[in-house]
Formats: sequence, C-alpha cells, structure tokens
Amino acid sequence: MAGLSYGTAGRIAVRELHSSRGKFAFVVLSVAIGVAALTGVRGFSSAFRRTLLLRARSIMAADVSARTNMPPTPEQEKGIAALEAAGNDESPVTELLSMASSARSMDPLLVSVKAVDPAKYPFYGTVVLEPKMPLDKALTDDSVAVGDDLLLRLHLHVGDAIKLGTEQFRIAAAVLDEPDRLSGSFAAGPRVLISQKALEGTGLVAPGSRVSRRYLFRLPRAKKGRALSDAAVAELKARLETLLPEAQVADYREANPALTKALDGATGLLSLMSLVALVLGAVGVAMAMRAHLQQRLDSIAIMKSLGAGSGQVMKIYLLQTLLLGLSGGVLGVVLGMGVQMAFPLFLAKLLHLTPRFALDVHAIGLGLTAGMLTTLLFTLPPLLDVRNVRPILILRRNVDAADDPFGARLMRKLKGSGAQIGASALIVVGLVALATRVSDSRRVGWTFAVGLVVVLLVLLAMAAVTLWGLRRFLKGTGLRLPSTLRHGLANLYRPGNPSAALLAALGLGVMQIAAVYMVQRSIVSEMRGATAENLPNIFLIDMSTDEVGGVRKLLATQPTVKGTPEILPVVSARLVAVNGVPFADLKLKHVGRFAQSLNLTWPPVTDAPPPGDSVVEGRWWTAKEAAGAAQRPLVAIERERAARLKVKPGDRITMSAQDEDFTATVAAVYEADSRHAFSRAEFILPQTVLAGMPVVWYGGVHCDPAATAGLRRVLYEHFPTVTVIDVAATLEVIRQVLLQVTYVIQFLAAFSIFAGMVILASAIAGTRYRRIREVVVLKTLGATRARIAAIFSVEFAVLGLIAGAVGLVFANVLARYLLVHVMHFAYGFQAGANVAAWAAVAGLTVAAGWMASHRVLGQKPLEVLREE
Amino acid sequence: MIVVAGLRKSLRTGGATVEILKGIDFRVGRGEFVAIMGASGSGKSTLLGLLAGLDDPTAGTVALNGTVISNMPEDRLAQLRGRTIGFVFQSYQLIPTLTALENVLLPYELNEDAGEQKAGLERARQLLQSVGLGARMDHYPVQLSGGEQQRVALARAFILRPPIVLADEPTGNLDTVNGQHILELLLHLNHVEGTTLVLVTHDPALAQHAGRRITLRDGLVVGDEVQAGGVRVDG
Repeated sequence: MAGLSYGTAGRIAVRELHSSRGKFAFVVLSVAIGVAALTGVRGFSSAFRRTLLLRARSIMAADVSARTNMPPTPEQEKGIAALEAAGNDESPVTELLSMASSARSMDPLLVSVKAVDPAKYPFYGTVVLEPKMPLDKALTDDSVAVGDDLLLRLHLHVGDAIKLGTEQFRIAAAVLDEPDRLSGSFAAGPRVLISQKALEGTGLVAPGSRVSRRYLFRLPRAKKGRALSDAAVAELKARLETLLPEAQVADYREANPALTKALDGATGLLSLMSLVALVLGAVGVAMAMRAHLQQRLDSIAIMKSLGAGSGQVMKIYLLQTLLLGLSGGVLGVVLGMGVQMAFPLFLAKLLHLTPRFALDVHAIGLGLTAGMLTTLLFTLPPLLDVRNVRPILILRRNVDAADDPFGARLMRKLKGSGAQIGASALIVVGLVALATRVSDSRRVGWTFAVGLVVVLLVLLAMAAVTLWGLRRFLKGTGLRLPSTLRHGLANLYRPGNPSAALLAALGLGVMQIAAVYMVQRSIVSEMRGATAENLPNIFLIDMSTDEVGGVRKLLATQPTVKGTPEILPVVSARLVAVNGVPFADLKLKHVGRFAQSLNLTWPPVTDAPPPGDSVVEGRWWTAKEAAGAAQRPLVAIERERAARLKVKPGDRITMSAQDEDFTATVAAVYEADSRHAFSRAEFILPQTVLAGMPVVWYGGVHCDPAATAGLRRVLYEHFPTVTVIDVAATLEVIRQVLLQVTYVIQFLAAFSIFAGMVILASAIAGTRYRRIREVVVLKTLGATRARIAAIFSVEFAVLGLIAGAVGLVFANVLARYLLVHVMHFAYGFQAGANVAAWAAVAGLTVAAGWMASHRVLGQKPLEVLREE
Repeated sequence: MIVVAGLRKSLRTGGATVEILKGIDFRVGRGEFVAIMGASGSGKSTLLGLLAGLDDPTAGTVALNGTVISNMPEDRLAQLRGRTIGFVFQSYQLIPTLTALENVLLPYELNEDAGEQKAGLERARQLLQSVGLGARMDHYPVQLSGGEQQRVALARAFILRPPIVLADEPTGNLDTVNGQHILELLLHLNHVEGTTLVLVTHDPALAQHAGRRITLRDGLVVGDEVQAGGVRVDG
C-alpha cells in the first residue's frame, strides 16, 4: 500500500467516528466539560477577582499608600512628582489633631482633622455625606464636612459655622462614612474633613507640628479586559519604600489581612480547580480512547494484514483524536461561555455585584488549545500501542497478554516502548506548559505536572498491588465465595479490562475532587470566622481609669452590643535600647523616629495571650512567671514589630515609661489580629510590670451595624470625653466581600466537583462496551437482569472502594500540603467527612456503572450476536 | 417439544427493512437431532436465536414444551432458557474471567432451583472429565486452545440436563480433527442425556449425522427431509 493519503485516512476516521457516535459522545463530553470548566471557572473567577479587588482597594481608597509623620524633603517631593509624571495618580491626605470651637459651645473640642484633595480623593470607594452631595461641593475654601459626633458635642447643625485655627468654616455636611477609615490614624476626637487648600489657610500645619501624611496612589489603568498586574503594584510599592524610607508603605492587598488572605486563598483554589477540570477531562479522554482502540483491534489487524504500516494506521486514529479534541474543545468553549454568563445570574442575588462578561479571545484560544492538547497528549500512549497490534488477531481473538502479572507486563512494555516513554515525557512537558499557562506561574506548573505524574504512578502501582492481592484472595477462597461476589470480583480481571488504569483514573479523580472540597471547606470556614459577627466595629479611645468601669457597665446594659467588649489599658513608653544597644545606634531599615514610641499593655488573663493574638515564637508566661515579673520583667512583641526591631525570644528590651527605665526579656513573639482591639498595643507585659504607671484605656466592642449611631449617642451622653470611632460600615464592606468570596468559592467548587463526577462517570461508562458480550452469554445461560446487575455492582463497588480509599488518602495529603504550606490555612482531618466521601464514591461508582449498563442489560442477545 | 408457527423476522438496517425470515413453520419432537442448513445469509442463525428466545420475532410464535416464548418478559425468558436450553456458540463465548470449571458451573449458579452447589460441582467435574479436560479444570479460557474452549462450552451446555440443546456452527472455528472430536462429543452427550438437538451448520458432512435436515433459502424452508437412521416425530 502506498502512503495512505490524509484524505483517505480522514475519510476512514470520520466513518468510524460516525459509526460509533454514542461512544464518542462521551469522549467529546469529557473534553467539553473539562474545557468548559477551564474557560468558565477561569473566566468567571478572573472577572470576579477584578470586581472584588476593586472593593478591596476602596478600603485603602488607593492602590498603594505611603504613610509618614515626616514632612517631605524637596528631593522626596521631586520623587513623588516623577511618579506622577510616570502616569500614576497621586493624592495626599494630611491628618492632624486640632481644636475646634463654635459660637454655641463654650469649650473647644479636640478634633481629628483630615485634609484631602476633593477633586481626586478617594481613588476607590466613596465618602458618604448627609445631606447627599459630591465631596468637592462639601469641601470648598470656606466649608468643611464633620462627623455627626462633632455636631452632637458642639450642639451644631449642618449649615452652622465652626472655627479651626484662625479660620471660620461653614459645615456643609455630616460625614457618615469614609472608605479608608480603617487605614487612617485612629486619633482621638471627632472627624473634620477639609480640603488641602483650606487647611493651608488655617495655619494649623506649621513646621514641627505633629502631622501625619498619607500619599495615595492609583496606578495607570490596565489595558482593557486585563487585571491590574500584581507586579506593577509591587514595583510602585518598592519605589516608594526607597523614596520614603521612613514611611509605612502598603498596597491594597494589605489593607485588610483577612481579606487579602481570603483573596489569595480563593485565587489559588480557583486556579487549582481549573487545572483539576483540565486533568479530569484528559483522564476521561484517555479512558475512552483506550477502550475505543481496544475495540478497533480487529479493524487494525485487518488493515495491517492488508499491508498497512503502523504509521498509516496511526494516521487514521491521530486524525480521529484531533477531530474529537477539536469538537470537544469547541463545544467546551461554548459551554464555558454559557457557564460564564450563567454564573452571575445565579449569584446576582447573593453577591449584589455582577462581573462584566467579556468575550475573551484569550480564554477561548486557551480552551481550544487545552482541549486539543490534552486529548492528544493523553491518547498518545494508547495510540502508540497500535504499533504492537499483530494481524494474527483476526484469526485468534483471544490473543491477549492481559493475564500476565502486572510486573511482567510492565517490563515487557518498558522494553519495547521507547516511543511510549518519549510520549509520556511529552505529556509531562505539555502538562507543565498548560498548567503554567493556566496558573500564570511556572513554579505552580512544574509542581502540578510533576506531582500529578508521581501521584499517577503511585496510584497505578497501588491499584496493581491491590488487584494482585485481591486475585490471590480469590484464588485462595476458590468456590467458597457466593457466586455473584466471586464473579463480580473476577470481572476485575476481564482481559482488556483496564482495571488498574480505571482505578488510577478514578483514584486521581477522587483525589482531586476531594482535595478541592477540603481546601474549599477550610478556606470557607476560616473566612466565616473572619466574618464572625462579634468582631469589634466600634472603637473607644482615651478612656481614663476612672471612666473605664462605668463604660463597661454601660456597655453591658446596651442591647445592641454583642459579645464581650475588649477593653485594654495602654501605657505610653519609649524604646531605649535593644540588648543594651541604644536606639540611636540600632541600624534598622524603614524605622522612623516614631518607632521609638511604644504602646504597652497587659493581657486580660494573666497566663494567656489577649483575644485575637497567637504566639508564633517562644511561649507565653505562666501565672507564676507573671507574678514574679516585677523582679524579672517579661515582654511579648507583635510579630511585625519584632521583625522590624530584629528581636527574638530571649533578647532584652529596655523601655522607659515616666522617665523610669526598665529592661524586659522577650518571652514570645505573637501574631496580632488587627480586627481586635488588642492589636492597638504591640508590646504586652504582665500587669505586675506596669503597675503604678499612668494608663489610658482603649476599647473595642461589637454593635449591631444598623444601631451604631444610637450607641455613639449614649456613650457621648455619659462619657463626653471618650472618642468613639465607628468602623461598622467599613467592616460591613469587608464582611460582605468575604461572604461573597465564600459563596463564589463554594459555587465554583461545586461546579468543578460536578464536572469531575460527570467525567468520571463517563469514564466508567466507557467500559460498558466490554460488557455487552458478557451480558449476552449470561442471559443465554439463564441469568436474569437482576443477577447480572448484582454481579456488575460487586465489580463497581470494589472499584469504587479501592479508588475511593486511595484517592482520599492522597486528597488529604494534597489538601494538607496546599493549605498549610502554600495557602497558610489550617488543615484538620475530618474522619466523618472522609468516611462519607468514601461511601459516596463507592455508591456513585455503582450508580454510574448501572446507568452505563442499563441499555446493555436491556438489549436482546441476538442483536449483539448478529454483529459478530 | 419445539413448535414454530408463521415465524417472521425483519430487521431495520440503515433506512431499509430487511426481511430475514419470511414465514417458517415446523415442529421438532423430543429426542430428535435436527440440522438446519443453508447458505450464509439464509437466516439460519436468526432462526436458532429465535428458538432460544434470544430475540423477539416480528410475527409468528415459538413454543417450547407447549409454552409460547415469543414476546415473553425478558427475565422470565432468561429463567426458562436456563432450565430448558443449552446453547453452544460458534465462538465458544466462555467468560474469560472464570476458570473452565467455573464456566461450566455458571448456569448451575445462575439457576436458583438447580439444586445444591455441591451436586453441581460434582456434575461439572464429571462433564469436564467426559470431554477430556479433567486435568485443565482450573485453567482460564485464554490458557486453552480453541478446541478445548469449545469442549468447555459443550460441558456448560449440558450441565443442567436441558431437554433442548441448540448449537450454532459449533465446529465452525475449528480444524477438521477438533471439529470431528466436538461433533462426536455432541452426539455422545445427546445420546447419553437424551436431549433434543438442533444444530445450525452450512457443512453437509456435519448435517449427515442428523436424523432430519431442514434447509433454508432466503428466509424460507425449502427442504425438510428425514435422513437414513434419523427419526421423524410428528406431534
């Protein structure tokens, strides 16, 4: 036979596809679902992430902010101007404490002034004013906006006048909410919002006055349809850190640690799910193609006996594979776009936000390529097997080496399969490329692909060992087992039955599905914790020791207050030396003059960290050590602060409070949760050390977000000098965002899991063609359908149980690794969930087997026999 | 024993309907040995399949021992088949995952009122001995030659002492020597067990051994003759 033309090969390929449409529907479906999940999940999650990050930015009102207490040098001003020239938007925020007075009130009041450029501020989010008006209408040269607590205290109304420094201003509006309330300074006194220009006129900012400045930056808009790259944000942050060494530079991802962690976790999980979808699709294809080629052995043998070379035969099946991959890819992309459009519809009610749907050529291209490539890659090994088909097969159907032990088969395969090994290497490289492309990280790509191959090999080995053990058992028990059970078990060794491969595929699928579920569950439960309703959303500042008892009592009687208020004492101190080295001689980076001032506190319970804090290094002191701390002072330091000062447990810190020096040994370094009131103090000492020092008290309390105004009023009526800061609105934003993330994660995880189950079910269904002949024989011999179904159930249940066990073991290993080492979440083994999952896998495998065998069971024996 | 009346079978392939059996009538009495002959495509295998209830006829009926099996519910048919018919296929159709002994025992296990397993096991061993496979009972089908596999299939067909054995080209896949051996075994078992035997073949030499020869052409019976040494039973 001269070279088989592509035309002829194509014709044969198409006819074969046409003649077994039903079977290939499963292959196309597997690819399509994989690709759909890939494009749908990826497209939706990137759109969602864009929308979500926009909200995260609103917490900072900017992409990057730099906060400093030092006035900028001319050089720094030039540097900031250069950053602006480079396309970044910049807007300064100045914060200071001042006194405000009015004609109606005798006493001036300490206020916290915040000056902004109303034309630019805020870059993200909005300032809510009452009456509603744009910020630049409220903040003019002669008008300001003030907190409603100021109106209350000074007995003023909107429209009245207020005096700041040397100037009189009209109160244009009351400030109800500022987006960056959590990022600004938590100073005492009600808010006065003023324009930068008006502030200059007041004469309040004089050289030497204690002013804190924040430079807000917004990066140039990213190209249409693409997310702002994290690299650009990081680059701007780095430049600012060099330009303003004394400043605290933060980007929007650091605005709220819980939010950042949730977003990172969600992003990681989402790309993991995309990859899972991809591989599950590939597994489905590989299983189906293997089954198909097994069935085609006769035609292949006939072609070979007519003189066709392996290359020519492979050409036919290669074309077939490409056609299948292409149709699956196209269908998948269409499905994926449908999914992407449908998700927001489902979620609109829950999310109150609609990611814009964009026809992403990129995603479509990726989907198509992924479909074709995975199909091709995973069918390569069975395709190469075509070379080993001998024409003798036409004469003796049962020439089959499947009876050999796995080891011997493996050795024989290894010997004669340089090409297969090459193909496998190609698969790994292709997987790396795809995973890298999907996860946008080469490291993730490699880890994923290599990990997958290792897991697959281990799964194959474990499956083979289990099957071998089962066979030994079967031989040992012989005819003593009930015949249905014996027959069902024996079916696992049906010649050509890819039990080991099916087990590995199922195991892999179970592993990935279960891992997605576990990771999802862990992230969601942690986020639920972060959105817990009793976190402080009202902060109390500057309470005196005389007042604090009364405040506690008052709070206890308020029905809108939930949980126990967190109230902490703060002793102001100065850092004198570390390990005997005076502060001035400590060569520390990014530590300004103000790093020398310290907030000290003692914990509410002597021998345990305060709420929200957890020890990361060293250990907390015992009650006994605390009692003896007056002689041997101990201190626990917040992790970031410790890192900046380069101290670790065992180091000695010399502090000065009220001009009295004392040296404490660092006992522990702790991680603080900024959502708790105790995060306001970064140095914790036993109470005995701080006894007798002047103390002001701070507090955090959770109030029903809808009733904060009432609580503020009550507090003001009883304790007019205590500053109350209300961050309920901002925290509500964060809570909402976190809840949205949990919904989306759960939704997408459920979708991925569903897609995975469909693919696995179709892989199981792919084995049904092997059963037809057997069903016919059994029926001819007098078996009822129930009997045959029972035999198959045993076979499927065993497959499901083995695959489930192996898959779940690996899922736990994988989930633990991902959660603990990659995403920094907690992992806990859940026995109940694992057992339930195990039973579910077995049950679903049996159900899928039944569904797949249903038609086969109903077929008339003669229909099948006639085809022979 | 077997009564076939007005039997028709059509198949739809592609868009066209092909009539394979065009109205067939005959009776087969107890203990008879009938060979159904005909060229390839004459409908003989389809006829045999309908006799065994492996498919439903388009029209007409098949009755076994007075029970009309045409259009009987699937599972009842299977049970009836298990008790009444032994089937021998051209391509053996052994279950590859079971040993020779297990394959022979299978109809026994599938049939709930067959009796205790011990008795079945005894008979399976005995049958395998009688077809000369006493030493290969624990072998799997792939470990057996074609002739040996067909001998296992024969033993399987006779295990439940069915009143009827249907054989579809039982020697078709075998060489002359093995084919001859299988035929002898079949006749021997037929004789010993006293079964009715219906055999489909296109081999005149094989058909010679039958007491009666029914010839099919284009879906119709064109010949039905008693052969020397054969017995024709009417009714």
